[in-house]
Order: sequence, then C-alpha cells, then structure tokens
Amino acid sequence: MNSATQQQSNTQFDSEATQNAGATNTRETKQTTGKQLVAIIFILAMATKMFLLPIFLIQATGRDGYIILSVYGAFDLITLIPMLIAIRICDVDIFELLSSVLGRVGAKIAVVFIWLFLLFKLNTAVSEILTFYGTNVLSDFNTSMMLIVLLAFLAATGAHTLRALSRLNEILVPVIVLCLAVLVAIVIMTGFDLCNIFPAVADKKGFSDALVKHPAWVGDFTPLLLFIGRTKTKKHTWCFAAGSGVIGTTVAVFFAIALSAAFGNVPTYVDASTNISNILQFSVGNVYGRLDMFSSILWSVSVFIEAALFFYATCRCASFVVGKPAHLVISLCTCVIVYVVQVFALTDPMIFSVAVTSKLCAIATPILAAVLPLLALVCAVVYNTKHKKPSAEEEQNAGE
Amino acid sequence: MQASKKLLIYKVLLFVFAFFIAFLPSTTLRNKEVNSRVIVGILGLDGGDKISITAQYVMPTEAQGTTGKDTVTVEGETLDAAAEALNTALGRRVELGHCSMVIVGSETKPEQLGSLLSATDVTADVWMAAAEGKAKDLIGDLTDFMKKTGATDADFIAYSARKAHIATNTLLGFLSDINSASKTAYIPLVEMQTEPKEEGGGGGSGDSSGGGSGGSQQGGGGQSGGEKKEEQKGMKVEKLAVYGEKGRVCVLDSTSARGVAWVSAPVEKGTVCSDVEFEGETIKGVCGRLLKKRTSVKVDAKNNVATIKVKAYIEPHGDKFNRLYATNSKKADEALVKGYTEKIRREVESAYRDCLAANVDPMFIGREAFRYHPDFYKNEYNYQSIEVKYDIEIALK
Repeated sequence: MNSATQQQSNTQFDSEATQNAGATNTRETKQTTGKQLVAIIFILAMATKMFLLPIFLIQATGRDGYIILSVYGAFDLITLIPMLIAIRICDVDIFELLSSVLGRVGAKIAVVFIWLFLLFKLNTAVSEILTFYGTNVLSDFNTSMMLIVLLAFLAATGAHTLRALSRLNEILVPVIVLCLAVLVAIVIMTGFDLCNIFPAVADKKGFSDALVKHPAWVGDFTPLLLFIGRTKTKKHTWCFAAGSGVIGTTVAVFFAIALSAAFGNVPTYVDASTNISNILQFSVGNVYGRLDMFSSILWSVSVFIEAALFFYATCRCASFVVGKPAHLVISLCTCVIVYVVQVFALTDPMIFSVAVTSKLCAIATPILAAVLPLLALVCAVVYNTKHKKPSAEEEQNAGE
Repeated sequence: MQASKKLLIYKVLLFVFAFFIAFLPSTTLRNKEVNSRVIVGILGLDGGDKISITAQYVMPTEAQGTTGKDTVTVEGETLDAAAEALNTALGRRVELGHCSMVIVGSETKPEQLGSLLSATDVTADVWMAAAEGKAKDLIGDLTDFMKKTGATDADFIAYSARKAHIATNTLLGFLSDINSASKTAYIPLVEMQTEPKEEGGGGGSGDSSGGGSGGSQQGGGGQSGGEKKEEQKGMKVEKLAVYGEKGRVCVLDSTSARGVAWVSAPVEKGTVCSDVEFEGETIKGVCGRLLKKRTSVKVDAKNNVATIKVKAYIEPHGDKFNRLYATNSKKADEALVKGYTEKIRREVESAYRDCLAANVDPMFIGREAFRYHPDFYKNEYNYQSIEVKYDIEIALK
C-alpha cells in the first residue's frame, strides 16, 4: 500500500495536496502565474519601505530621507534583474537547482544563508507591523497578544502552497492599488508643499551616515527565489514584472517624499506613530473626513502579504535544510522563533532600531541581497548548460 | 466527509467564533470603558511662570445617552505635569487624541507647542487658534457659545479653512513653519462677538471685539468679566497672530491677514470685494467669488529680489457687477481686473510692510531663499534688505 502510494506520487503530480506534502526539495509543477508574479513584485517593492524606514531615515537625516530610500529602491531593482532572468530561464525550483549545481551539501549551506537572511527580513517585517499597529492603530492592545494573532496567520500561510499565497495577494492587490491611488490623489490635490524637501543633501555627513546605517531594508525581492521554476509565464511577463517593481518603488519613494517634506523642518517630532495619514491631515486639516485613514489601513494590508511571503520562504528553506517536508511543524517552529525574538529580544522600537542599524546588518544585508539573486542566476545558467530542456511533450505531462 | 457537511461545520464554527467575540467580557463591558474616559474637544495653552492647560471636555452624564460640555483649568511646572494634572482634575482618563483645536494664549511659547505634540496624544493635524489674551478666557466664552448654539469644536476653523479667506494652520504646520528658515509661523486669532446684556434693552452693534472677557469657568478660577454682562453672539476670525522663535511677535489686522492668506495659506475659497473705477465713476464694493488661486514666491539671488506672484481666478457676482456688465462687458471686465488687482496688491503689500516692521516672515521669503539658493541664504540673505516685487494677475470667470 505504502509503496504503491509512493510510486504514484513519484510518477505524477495529480493533486495539490500531494504536491504540498512533499514539495520542498522535489520538482513541483508551476504554482503561480505571470500575473501573480507581477502582483507579488509590486507588493515586495513598496510594502516595508513605506512603514518604518522613512521614519528612521527622517530621524537620521531630515528632509533627505527620501533620497536614501530611493537609493535602496534602486539597489533592489537592480537585484530584481538577475532574479527575473533566473525565473525566466530555469524550469526547476531553487532547491533542485542548487542541489544540481552545488551538490547536496553545498546546496544546504547556501540555503542556510538564504534562511538566515529571510528570517532576518521576516523579523524586520513583523517588528514593523507590531510597532506600527502597537503605537498607532491599536495603542492599548498587548503586543505579545497581537503577535499571536499575526503568527496564526503566518503559520496558515506557511502550511499552504505558494499558489494560495499568490492567489491571496492577487485578490488584495487591486484594493491596495485603489487605496494608494486615493492617497496619492489626496496628496496631490490638496496642495501639499512637497518643495520642503529642498535643499537636498545640505548636511553631507549626516546623509552619508544614514545611508550606510540603514541597508537592512534592502533585499525585499529575495522571496522571489521561491518562484524560480514555479511560475507560468508569458512572452511579456518580464516587462510587466520589471514595470511593476519600478512602479512599486516609485510609490514608496513618493510617500517618502511626502513624509520628508512634512517633517523636514521638524525631524525630532517624527516617530513610529507617524504615517501618511497624519501627513495628509497636516496639509488639509480634516476636511476629507477619514477617507485617508480608511485608505491607509487598507494599504497597510500589503505589509502582511510581504511578511507572509518572507515567512513562507523561510519555512521552505528550513524544510530543505532539515530534509523533511513537515510544513505545519516547521511553520510552528518558525512562529516560536519569531515570537521569542519579538517578545524577548526586540521588545522596544529603540532596540529594534539599534539592531537593524548595527554594523553587522549594514554590511551583511546588502551583500546577501546582491549575492543571492546572482547565485540563482549563475546556477540557472550552469544548470541550463548541463541539462537540455525537456521536450514539449514531457512538459505537458508534467503540467497535467 | 462530504463537502457540504464540511461547509456546514465551518459555518457553525464561524458562528460560534463570532458569538464568542461578540459576547467577550471586554466587548460587553466596553460601555464602562467609554464612561471611564473624558474626551477633550478643545485644549487651551497659556504660558508664563507656570504652564496652564484649559480643557473643554465632554463627559457622559447621569442621564442616559447625554453628555455635558464644560471646562477645567490646571497648572504645572512643565507641559507634561500639567497634562498629567488634567487626569486627576477630572478623575478620569483624559482622551486628548480627539482634540480638534488647540488655542494658544498670548504668552505661549512655540517650544511648548512642540512638547504638546511629542509628549501628549494630541495629533499633528489639530487646528490651531490664537486668543488675544488668555486661552482660558476664550475657551470659556467658546464653551458658553457652543452650549447655546450647538456649534461643535473646531467647526468654525474647519469652515474657515475651506470656505473663507483665512490663513489657518495645524499644529504640525505651525511647528514646521517656525522651524523653517523663515522662523515664523501664523495662527488665526479668534475673537468673540459680544453684545452688552442690558435689562429691557435690545440695541448694541454686536460687532465689538470681546477679547479677554471671560465666561463661566469650572475649576479654573476664571474671571467673570466685571459688572457688565456680555453675551456671545458669534465668533470672528479676521486677524492673524504671527509668531517668531520666542513667541508671539505681532497681530496683523484684517487687511494684512488677508495678504498673508493670499500668499501662504492653501485656501482657495472666499470673497473678494473691491471698489471699481468704471467710466469715471467709483462703484463701491463689487464682489466676486474666488474660485482658485496660484501663488508662488520666487527669490532671485543674483539681484537680491523676491517676487510674490498671485494669480486669482475670480467669478464676479451681484447686482453691481450685473449693472457694469450690462453697460459695457469688455470695459467692465477691464475695470474689475484692475480693481481686484489693486485690492489684492494692497492686502499683500500691507502684510509685507507690517511683517517687515515686526521682522517676521509669514510669507516665507527666507524659506524660499533657503530651499533654492542655500548658499545665498547662508551668506548674503537679509530679510530686511531684500527687494520685494509683486505680480498680481486676475483671471475672471
């Protein structure tokens, strides 16, 4: 009975449940579409860059915060290029790819680094969510309780498929885009004084210090490693994917400009409770009611998606390293790690700030953010030269 | 298990979950939580040796579903201490996050407003208003007036921001302005229109400035206003209090206040009335509605010149305009453009003249110099010596 089942699962991918049960280090069918990839890239490009990063940057360098955020955004867009090429040319998932090129042990070592990086990014995203909601929306709510609710959501995403996560994002993205459009329209229509970002780089030393201290926020496209070999793409998907990254980054930079302009003269008054909603109110008073607040809350949903993606990718890397596709157990273990880190280590926004601006983070994050997509690209090229492409018939069978 | 059975189980579980959430102790006892708080609608700040905070608050009363509006004044060595004293004064937790207006007295310092933003729950978008004398007195008068009319909180300031040609400001706007290169900020001055209350008498013009005469206060030791009783008939927001780094520097009259509003405030509504010379005759008070405006301040660092440019889109209306228009529409347009241009120029010039005398810069010429010519601003710029030109353009609709 057991051997029959094993044989069946080895020969065909007949159901999603079977795929997910043992999918970590075996070849999977395509789980996401090109559209979903484009939507995911849009969210990854802007979500966490619109939360605490502008605030830290304004505190550090005043009205020049948006320039540093633009630099980080540009860095991420550059790392997106090798990632997209790898997704385009490679037909096997990242784990099989690494195993094939680097060998089993080499692949596990590489994935440990990816796991560490993703775990760090996951904790950054979760900490931002807790700080943002803990000081802003739900100020009287116990943070550790709030974290449990968030981790329940993350555990559910970790135990599901990439298809489910991509589909969830695909459903939410139109709403998020609409809300962003409302916020942008309010900023533009109400005569917001965006010129307060001038003069640029008046304090060169403060600017360079802030630039080298905050690269912990780069590398937002790293979860796309999991999309290698799992995405059904069309001819122009790459153009849309790149365009989506550029638009997402532009949106993040635009809101950073608004925040920098609003607090450029008073950087000491900006704190974790500051968000774009305050800024809109600053320019117009409350003549638009709370339309901006409504939009702002819906927009903030995007950061949950980004955290879920980091969580999903972290869990899959852990599964590969451990060698067991027990996704639910691994998700729960990751939840425990995140809970311990958030509740016992990053208890205060100040500790979080010190941690993410430390020298280790400032050096390791941009290096890993640049190296990992390049590693994927190099491995994909090597893999393609080693293996000839499967025939159309084989591909069709695999698709079925 | 069949899919329909699974679905049924999910539905039952969802219902149980919703029921559980709806009847959680914290949900069902929420009314008690609301009752344990006091919501502050207007906050007054008076500086001096000690910082005094006056709060106009709303508190649930014994009668079901009703609230009472009253004021309380507390003092403290620092703003934090005074804010803390508010809680003890009212015996409940004071909710400052819903405060919609902060009124500042004549002695209030800008740094105290900074503390208000950073040390309390008062939000950055709260409207600012200035009292001619003590904020405590103005809040007392406002409370009496609001009780009488049902006007709520900062309605009148919100109205001014949208519909009237008044330069309004928010707390963050004020702090941002005062910390800009111009080191100047403005707040509209709110006065009460009062009328002497006499036995058997109607009369009274009702247009005198009430200023500092106080209404009834609770817990604050407010003054009664002497022997004569005055009744609040309405509010007046015409003047502008201008602040420098150390505090209030001057109060601009209504003409200069309008001049500042033309240049610095984002308001795009209001009425413009001007005397118009038409075929050798002066027609007084031809009014038009402001539809839109475009304003800019440009600094020419080479020639040490600042140009204030205002382009206003005005729709003339009223019987006087109709009469002019019926006589000769082209000439009427020309006359109106000339009249409105002169009127706006007078207001802007008056504002600049008054501000130059007080050495304050609410039209933010210094800020523009700093933004676009930082070296010039650092080395050569002098507000007193820069030449200011005006470029007023009217587009009739």
